[in-house]
Amino acid sequence: MERQEVIDGLIEVLKTVRMIDPERLVGVTEETDFMKDLTVPSSELINIVAKVEQKFDIEFEDDDIDGLGSQVKDVVDLILKVKARG
Amino acid sequence: MAGYYDNGVHIENLCAVNPKDILIAYGPTKLLVDKYHWHSPKVGVVASYTPKAHDVEDHFGVFRGVDQIEAFVQATAGSLATFLECEKNGWAPTDMKDKLVPSFIGIGTVNFVSYLEEGDTFVMLGKTTYYKFKQMVCEGRIFKAPKGLDLDDYFKNFAEERLFKYDLGPEFTLVSALFDITGRAIDRSYFNR
Repeated sequence: MERQEVIDGLIEVLKTVRMIDPERLVGVTEETDFMKDLTVPSSELINIVAKVEQKFDIEFEDDDIDGLGSQVKDVVDLILKVKARG
Repeated sequence: MAGYYDNGVHIENLCAVNPKDILIAYGPTKLLVDKYHWHSPKVGVVASYTPKAHDVEDHFGVFRGVDQIEAFVQATAGSLATFLECEKNGWAPTDMKDKLVPSFIGIGTVNFVSYLEEGDTFVMLGKTTYYKFKQMVCEGRIFKAPKGLDLDDYFKNFAEERLFKYDLGPEFTLVSALFDITGRAIDRSYFNR
């Protein structure tokens, strides 16, 4: 799976998050920060991660989430890592 | 096996626990749970607290609303998630203290309809609405309990169905309704960055 494909899928997930202004999703890059740039509350990040599991048909471990950063690239790296883990 | 072991003692549910032994990060003046009266590990809890003189100091004898919220998160997300993490990992709460920090990360809506004064025992009925990746969301109600009621006896046959309906007798007075009270156990290393 290519990184851009993952980013596109992630943006599809973010479009379903009521707390995110759709206008903020225009021009999302790997450096985009969920909390600073998309104003996602920290409590909502777990819900996004849960939606990502469904979207990409993967399952994260608690430890995967413990060290997760708040930028798009952090989630992309994690998705690819878990996909590779199989 | 349900529960966890603490110093060789099998803790099957929170009713067997003194709150200070599971909410171990809280000092004596900040711990706002006196006792657990009913607990179903993945469902919810009933706990109580009686405001002390120091809880109402400089606040005209009234227990602050913000402290009701704090008491509720301690009784629900703090206690329930610690119990489940200890069960899952085979830890005692003291083991968890070295690894995870229970953190209060969000509040939804809270409606206050009455108040509590020093010496007013209140019960917190809390249910888990979401638990994943060490993040727990709870909602519930706080009721002022009648003076002198034996709460252990009152809740000994309590059941999930009654919790879901907040089914208490008319002698209890609704004080507040709390929604989306969210806590998360965060890896201790995060705080050292």
